Amino acid sequence: MRPRVLFGIAGIILFTSVVMLHFSKSISSYVDFEQAAATPGDQVHVIGTWDSSQPALFSTETMTFSFYMTDESGNTRRVTYPRPKPNNFEQADQIVVIGQMRGDTFISRDMLVKCPSKYNDSSHPELSQLQ
Amino acid sequence: MIGIVGHALLSLAFLAAILTTWFWYLVAKDTSSSAESTAPNLSPGRVETIAAVLFAAKGLLTLAASVLLLYLIFSHQFQYYYVYNYTSTDLQNIYLWAAFYSGQEGSLLLWILSSFLVGLAILRWTSPVYRAPVMFFMALTQVFLLSMVSGFPIPWYGNLGASPFRTLASTMPDALIFQTRPDFVPSEGSGLNDLLRSPWIIIHPPVIFLGFAMMTVPWAFALASLWKRTYHDWIHAALPWTLGANLCLLTAIFLGGYWAYVTLSFGGYWAWDPVENASLVPWIFGMAGIHAMLIQKKHARAHKASIIFAILAYVSIVYQTFLTRSGVLGDASVHSFVDLGLYNLLLFFIAVVSVVGFGLLFYRYRELPEADEESPVISREFMMFAGVMVLFLTGLVIIIGTSSPIIGRLFVPHPTPPDQQFYNNWTLPFAVFIAVLTVITQYLWWKRLDSEALASALIRPALIASVVTIIALVWADIRNLAYMIYLFAAIFAVAGNGSILLGMLRSNPKRTGGSLTHVGLAVLMIGFLGAAYDRPMVDARTQDYNRAVKARQVMDSDGFPVEQPIEFVELEKGIPKLIDGRYMVTFVDAEITEQNRPGEQEYEIRFEDVNSGRVFTMRPTVYPMLSNSSPGAVEWTVDTAVRTGWFSDIFMYVAGSSLVDREIERMNREQPSSIRSIDQLGPQMTGEDGSVTVRLGRGGVARVGDYTLTFRNFVYVDPSEMPDNSIIGVKADLLLVHRESADTVSVQPRYILTYDREGQYVYNPPEKIALTDGEVRFLNVHPEADEIELLIRGLEGEPEREWILMSAEHKPLISVVWLGTFLLMFGFSISIFYRWADQKKRERNE
Repeated sequence: MRPRVLFGIAGIILFTSVVMLHFSKSISSYVDFEQAAATPGDQVHVIGTWDSSQPALFSTETMTFSFYMTDESGNTRRVTYPRPKPNNFEQADQIVVIGQMRGDTFISRDMLVKCPSKYNDSSHPELSQLQ
Repeated sequence: MIGIVGHALLSLAFLAAILTTWFWYLVAKDTSSSAESTAPNLSPGRVETIAAVLFAAKGLLTLAASVLLLYLIFSHQFQYYYVYNYTSTDLQNIYLWAAFYSGQEGSLLLWILSSFLVGLAILRWTSPVYRAPVMFFMALTQVFLLSMVSGFPIPWYGNLGASPFRTLASTMPDALIFQTRPDFVPSEGSGLNDLLRSPWIIIHPPVIFLGFAMMTVPWAFALASLWKRTYHDWIHAALPWTLGANLCLLTAIFLGGYWAYVTLSFGGYWAWDPVENASLVPWIFGMAGIHAMLIQKKHARAHKASIIFAILAYVSIVYQTFLTRSGVLGDASVHSFVDLGLYNLLLFFIAVVSVVGFGLLFYRYRELPEADEESPVISREFMMFAGVMVLFLTGLVIIIGTSSPIIGRLFVPHPTPPDQQFYNNWTLPFAVFIAVLTVITQYLWWKRLDSEALASALIRPALIASVVTIIALVWADIRNLAYMIYLFAAIFAVAGNGSILLGMLRSNPKRTGGSLTHVGLAVLMIGFLGAAYDRPMVDARTQDYNRAVKARQVMDSDGFPVEQPIEFVELEKGIPKLIDGRYMVTFVDAEITEQNRPGEQEYEIRFEDVNSGRVFTMRPTVYPMLSNSSPGAVEWTVDTAVRTGWFSDIFMYVAGSSLVDREIERMNREQPSSIRSIDQLGPQMTGEDGSVTVRLGRGGVARVGDYTLTFRNFVYVDPSEMPDNSIIGVKADLLLVHRESADTVSVQPRYILTYDREGQYVYNPPEKIALTDGEVRFLNVHPEADEIELLIRGLEGEPEREWILMSAEHKPLISVVWLGTFLLMFGFSISIFYRWADQKKRERNE
């Protein structure tokens, strides 16, 4: 093998390692609220569903939207979100909040609302109600 | 009945695809690799005719099936799953057409049809040396695509793929309705997603699938060259196709980005979403392939790179199709595609496409032509090859990021997608390299300079770029070092490629495609920088607040510093507010126009530029997404308004308003539902003295004055708390939340049944509500409806104000992004024409 090829291979291996290292630091794991409390940083991802038995309100005084969310392990916590209620909030079959746990409140900087979209058609409330 | 015919057509098309693949294989096997011996030879000629007829039959059968599907859609036959799921009777014709490819099955059909068109063009225009092997590989991909929509019955396995002609009943055999009435046909479909009702997104899929289909061509040519050991000439024929594929992908990416920008409220044209990356990576690999082919054409080297990138570009299309359609990305993308049971088929598809591609490559690797000597560093082929490698690395990084649900498992158990910073941090330096390399390569390409002459030739663009960059840095107050370097590189590329372009316009306008695309790319890079300087437009008080937040001086009620700035403002009707230190903004009016959709509201918001005195009105809309909503839980969505300027845009939408709140109340009164929602209100009546009567079920919510009232549960009254002679007593456990401050009060009014000598009577004194002047009385219990009736006084609050929450953003250089895109498209088009004509000339000369 010519030295140029060897250099090339070494370069690609080095490059890939650096990318993978950075990549591993850019991702995190979805956790529940209990784990979130123990996780440092403000990019903690928690998946859950809206607890509709408790009020969800946008306060025009603090300009935050707050609601209660139940994570996949069944813990329920208050979540605040610094923007108005997102579109599709009530329809969401899953909510991903990104932020950090502070005491008993999860301060989210970002929220992804996963809806039963047109591509994802598992639920048909209209049909199941028909008799 | 029609469904069965459609099913049969697709199954036949699938069989025809298998047969045509086999016949093309037979033809290709006998095709000699030298051009001279293609003199008509009867027997192979007949086989080739059969192969071509089968290919046409495959296409026509698919076309017929598509026409049938369109017929089902236009005649609203909701017993079919696809029709039910993507259409409704109120859709305009244009959206009924679009519904054809709104779902996975239809979009695969569209891909197959596009491939059919491309296949016909190959049959018509490709030289006989390559025709059969290229058609063989093209047909092979069709077998896979058709397998996913054919629903072809396989013994002991079931149906292959997911047919668009499935009936609703077969999709949901467990639904109660189909068990009691198997022939039930819904009278209305669930409709097309409202967000997709936009002209931009309607033309997006046909363009992207045409791009995907065209990108099959270089892959097929590369494999044909490996098979037939014709490593030199294939690039001439493949080049225009690769350019065409890239033009289509670019156009599709632009359409998708523009749609996202003007329709969605996230406020950008790009979010590194897996679905977006799915078309970007093939574009980048296609670019690498185009450049490798150009090196091969001019310098008879980089044969391997041309083949590798032609393979990679198509493999990346199939890989990204797998990621987005198999359900793997379920959590990672906002476009959540569900697994239609195509996972295994898709996996098999990638495996075959890559194994055949790279397998053939390794098989022939040793005999691939190799350059005799290495190129000097200062040579166009070396510089261009360096650019190809940077493009490759860029694509690689994006693939790694997009594959986080798979690769991320090496590091964490349940990986999230990477931060957007991951993509930004890597692509920025790559873009800098590419920008600089384009200039050096263009100078070397057209001027044939040695290193010294090159250095002196580059002085002028470097000088221009330095001066312009410094002015821009000062003017725009850019302080980030990486952005400074990036901006310099981009302006350098505009200046360098621009001066080449100007020279060429005079001497050789037909060949300006390359320099024009490079100018376009550099302009695009400048435009991208604008995204780093997006700024929410808020009033002075909010700006102060946000500065305090930044300095961590604002504490929340729990004593922690607040970290999120406020990025929107509340406007009261008719009262102007000074926004962003420059615009006097007034919420003039809101009305329900129903212009495009039922229930659509339009807001009139007046902007007055206090510097120039110019006045303009922006009209964002808000509408209920009825097609996505079930009765009683209506989703609301916003449609943004954008004011486009030369240097910056104003991007805004109404995030909430009193009108929306009132409409929600009205809809819920008219259509109460069992699904509980925060906006679900119980029926209420307002008395003349301002008292309110509310009727609520357990868990019900009502809006009273400034408060939201929740009836949590019944509490039985302990006998010791009741008056004498009581029969039974209950309390209603009520929770009142002040909507502005979120203060919470609970109160438990009593309802006690007692009797005395004259008969039964109810003891239900009014209960004071703490922290307020109000009181609540438990009027009645309706056991049949499990509801209670309450009389509330003293919570009336202020008369309803008319307000909106406006989210507005100042977005610099958006127009520059579009300009760069258009220049790129224009450049690609010029190149396609030139390369196509060049190839025709070459064939005539042979």
